[in-house]
Amino acid sequence: MLAVVILALGAAAFGCISGISAVGWSGGTVSDNTIYVGSREGRLVAVNLSDESRQWSEQVKMTASTGLFGCGPGAGGCGTSSTGVAIYGSPVVNGGLVYFAGYNGKIYAFNSGNISQTRWVYPRDSNLQPFVGGLVTDGSKLYIGCADGKVYALDATTGDKLWEFAPGGNKTKEKIWATPAISGGTLYIGSFDKKLYALNTADGSKRWEFATEGAIMATPLIYQDTLYFGSLDRNLYAVSAANGKEKWHIPAKNWFWTEPVAVNNNIYAGGLDGNVYVLKADTGEKVATIDLKGPLASRPVVIDNSIIFATRKGVIYTINTSTNQAAQLADIKLEIDGPLTAVDGIVYVQTQNLALQRINSVSGSVLSPISLKSQS
Amino acid sequence: MNIWELIIQQPLVNVLIVMSHVLGNNFGLSIIALTIIINLAMLPMTLSQIRSAKAMQDLQPKLADIQKKYGRDKQKLAQEQMKLYKESGVKPAGCAVSMLIQMPVWIALYQSIMLALAVAPEGLLSLSRYLYSWHIVYTVIPLNREFLAMNLAQPNIIMAVLVGVSMWVQQKISTVPSPDPRQAQQAQMMLWMMPMMFTFFALSFPSGLALYWVVNSVVRIVIQYRMTGWGGMRRQAPKAAEGDKKYIKFEAKEEKTSTDKLGADIVLPDSETLKTQMLKPSKQRYQPGKDRSQHRRKK
Repeated sequence: MLAVVILALGAAAFGCISGISAVGWSGGTVSDNTIYVGSREGRLVAVNLSDESRQWSEQVKMTASTGLFGCGPGAGGCGTSSTGVAIYGSPVVNGGLVYFAGYNGKIYAFNSGNISQTRWVYPRDSNLQPFVGGLVTDGSKLYIGCADGKVYALDATTGDKLWEFAPGGNKTKEKIWATPAISGGTLYIGSFDKKLYALNTADGSKRWEFATEGAIMATPLIYQDTLYFGSLDRNLYAVSAANGKEKWHIPAKNWFWTEPVAVNNNIYAGGLDGNVYVLKADTGEKVATIDLKGPLASRPVVIDNSIIFATRKGVIYTINTSTNQAAQLADIKLEIDGPLTAVDGIVYVQTQNLALQRINSVSGSVLSPISLKSQS
Repeated sequence: MNIWELIIQQPLVNVLIVMSHVLGNNFGLSIIALTIIINLAMLPMTLSQIRSAKAMQDLQPKLADIQKKYGRDKQKLAQEQMKLYKESGVKPAGCAVSMLIQMPVWIALYQSIMLALAVAPEGLLSLSRYLYSWHIVYTVIPLNREFLAMNLAQPNIIMAVLVGVSMWVQQKISTVPSPDPRQAQQAQMMLWMMPMMFTFFALSFPSGLALYWVVNSVVRIVIQYRMTGWGGMRRQAPKAAEGDKKYIKFEAKEEKTSTDKLGADIVLPDSETLKTQMLKPSKQRYQPGKDRSQHRRKK
């Protein structure tokens, strides 16, 4: 009897731990009236926005051990039927190809017209450490940070590696989970080593670095020659894109997990403390603090003169950039961690139930979700 | 945040993180230190649990007698057992109750370890809601997961084996022999099932959790050893007396048979029997024609 009680309590306790397994939170990328998203089944899904027809890529699977119960890092998750690889970064579309990076340490390229067949894979015969941040491209090259602490640049057409950058030399083991930003031949990327790096996109050489007191998960926003990014030290920084000199920083009550947006010389930065900090872009002066009553982890979207934020609890808000007033648009009652995407006034976000949720950004009406579950 | 998270999980997570910082940004040492500290904090309860088990162990001969006496009458057996417990001041449920009270603390500790490890990106994101607004907590995250050449966020086969072995030793040392064959069988099953089950868990979960299980088992073994010695680990001495008894009976039977036949050997089974027989010389028959030196003594 006692044994049964102990086992039951143990099982319940295991079940209560969230975040053991990598599940993924890929956002959508829109091109030619099609939204591409990395599903939680480990597939790239292309959804035609006109007729809602869908196309799936082959399922990307783990090659490394995932533990006896599929609970190891990278597995689809304890208790879920999914065995596919978690996908965090949003897909990138460029020159007829669509790319994504998986938590299995591989980067995949597909023909954007027909994603059922893989065009190339990097690395071909092995796996790197997991990719959590997404890819960025300047047209000819792809750039990504990896959990092995390196930044990789690949040929966008062939998938061949062009260069790699290890911030601390070969000694470093600090992860890179952030998605980089690119502007004018410079790549900006944050690392777990608490620094933001500016790299020359031609050869990966370092232009400058900027140290904070916490790991950097967020993608920097590049706006008027200034980088705006949050750190896990609970500060939002404004740094000169040219030389990495700090312009200002403001503290918050919790981490800045996602990137801010800029509208009319104001920066709107959502934090995990549930506040949106509205700041003057040049001075960092606080214009307003808007409490959205829930942690903000997903990247917001700008639609006309409003900004759409989603809390982790699944409540969608719109902030009027003229008045800086927030209004609740909808409550989908599903956890939202991934970035928002907007097309023609409709906000799309992937949720853990393998569906693409759709919310009208004006009326707030929740449209029927599009299932991302493969039919094979 | 619910009460469980607020009162137990959140403080433990933050203490783990601060200790990691204090111990040179070493999360492995932090797990070891906190496990030991919590074991020390729970020591009175653990000692009470061990004492209860020891008292139960001391009652075993009496319980065996009762079992023998009232084995067929379940109701009477239960009554007599309860009477014995009452007279001896032993609470049979005390051991289990003490264990059940401690369990939430252990569950909270391993949940906190998992949270602080932030194995997957979702884990790191979830961790944010448990952190106090202490500067030290924010600057040390994400924690350094390297410990003794292993990644505490990944399963490790050596740690899994250590979990199994340490848990088996812990179970074995604290096992109380039971006169009831059913209970004994159950205890034997637990002795193997728990370590095997946790070994399988350890093969699947981060080795930081396995480290906690190993340290916990080792601390419990040390406490148990200090209280009761090697307990169930002690090698069971062969039951010599019992063996002799059987032998004596057997010999006595043989003797009886042999004396029925003329010319058969006289068997003197052991000193006790011999004494008895010396007192009753009439039962020994002298066999003429047989040399006494040829008599064999079997033992």
